[in-house]
Amino acid sequence: MSMVTEVNVLGTRALREAWRTPEALAPTLFIPIFFLVVNFGQAGKIFPSSSTDFLHGQTYAAFTLPSSLLLGASFGTAALYLVEEIEGGYFDKLRATPISRSSLVFGRLVAEGVKTVLLTAVLIILALPFGVSVASGLIGWILLLVLTSLWAMVFVGFMQLIALKTRSAAATNSGGLIFFPLLFLTPNFVPRDLLTRPMEIAATFNPVTYVMEALRSLILEDLEWVAIARGFGVVAVCGVIMVFLNVRVIRNYD
Amino acid sequence: MSQISDDSRPPSAESTTALAVEATGLVKQYRGRGGTVDAVRGVDLHVLEGEVFGFLGPNGAGKSTTVRMLTTLMSITSGTAKVTGIDVAAEPDAVREQIGVALQEAGLDPRQTGRELLVLQARLFGLSTSDAAKKAEELLDLVELVDAADRRINGYSGGMKRRLDLASALVHQPTVLFLDEPTTGLDPASRLTVWDEVRRINERGTTVFLTTQYLEEADQLCDRIAIIDEGVIVREGTPRELKSELRERQGLHSDPTLDEVFLDATGRTRERKAGEVQEVAG
Repeated sequence: MSMVTEVNVLGTRALREAWRTPEALAPTLFIPIFFLVVNFGQAGKIFPSSSTDFLHGQTYAAFTLPSSLLLGASFGTAALYLVEEIEGGYFDKLRATPISRSSLVFGRLVAEGVKTVLLTAVLIILALPFGVSVASGLIGWILLLVLTSLWAMVFVGFMQLIALKTRSAAATNSGGLIFFPLLFLTPNFVPRDLLTRPMEIAATFNPVTYVMEALRSLILEDLEWVAIARGFGVVAVCGVIMVFLNVRVIRNYD
Repeated sequence: MSQISDDSRPPSAESTTALAVEATGLVKQYRGRGGTVDAVRGVDLHVLEGEVFGFLGPNGAGKSTTVRMLTTLMSITSGTAKVTGIDVAAEPDAVREQIGVALQEAGLDPRQTGRELLVLQARLFGLSTSDAAKKAEELLDLVELVDAADRRINGYSGGMKRRLDLASALVHQPTVLFLDEPTTGLDPASRLTVWDEVRRINERGTTVFLTTQYLEEADQLCDRIAIIDEGVIVREGTPRELKSELRERQGLHSDPTLDEVFLDATGRTRERKAGEVQEVAG
């Protein structure tokens, strides 16, 4: 069987698993929307669209939407299912089949990507009543969905790594919390040039910054290819590292 | 290892019967914070094609570790293992195509239905979508789960899960089936059902490698057994041979039970304490 078929079979199962646990899906929609509403409610008047250049004529909700999209893409629920699978013995059942070890990694990652495309589309639609529009048009919409879902695959890859190494739900869950400092060490409230110097330095070294700026450029501006390329570049580098480490851990898994 | 009668000895290289499983000097060491742990310390095994081979031992003796090494799920520290003549460490994928595995915990995805699980398993062994559906139907019938086929597995009883696990290990008609404590935790009725399944599978030509803690199970099902204790094989032979050997060695008037063979082999004795029979280290 080809690797594509293996990934398809395993990915379909992972998606089925996600849809059958709506209670785990709900927070990935509710919490990002909650943050969008709260951030917009608290800072919307401080940054009126008419007099705030960095909003490019949109509301502050449009500026803060990328934070919510990245938050929604960084729950890493798939890694917790993996821990359940390890604890329950089903992971060994899959490992005992003659499929590529890479397919075991990619099955879940691809499912996470597909799930995030749908969730991100819903989140953007829910944000529209807050005065948000995607300035880069249809291509921008597509790039927004693709970049967010690629980020989700990178992050779930990181979470899977913790799951495979620790085989512990508690450790995997705690590992996921690393996203919060990463999210706040970004220009998530104001552009990078308005941050204090130490924050600006921290944000510059934080890979999430470039993904966020790429998403933001797609929402607020037309197709800004430099920002977009940086975002995709960061995701590509992080993605290659995560896949390499995941496959290595699965190959040496005892 | 205690000396058993000649015909119970592991088959030699000149043996005409093919070996389904062959292990030589199999060792597994774990490195932990407390130092190196020797889980398996040089196991030699020879399982003939078509037999039901029982692998017994007390908790922590190395049964599951040995099975995990033989089924490619765990690396081998030293020694060699072959399944149907294929080297486990060198060609793990080729071995996986030959074996079915049902481990100690019924490894199932609780969010899928029984049918979905079997179809998925069959697809992973290379069957087309339509063949996988047919195979799933056939196996559901075999393990008498047709009525529950479209229910999610998290609603299955322990016995149903065990049967489904067994079915999922058979999707590709394996040459060798590894069953790690397949009846642990089952009620007597479910245990008998699993025994029937194992016999039926074996009659169809599949070699069965069975680990169990239940001596009666081994007595009922196995052509030959090996007893492992503290990572080494301490007895090997047919149940009858092992009993005869103990009877002769201890000058008993009648054949001992397999329980007594086991206790003798593992250096454990029984003591009656507070009205209960307890197994204690000898």
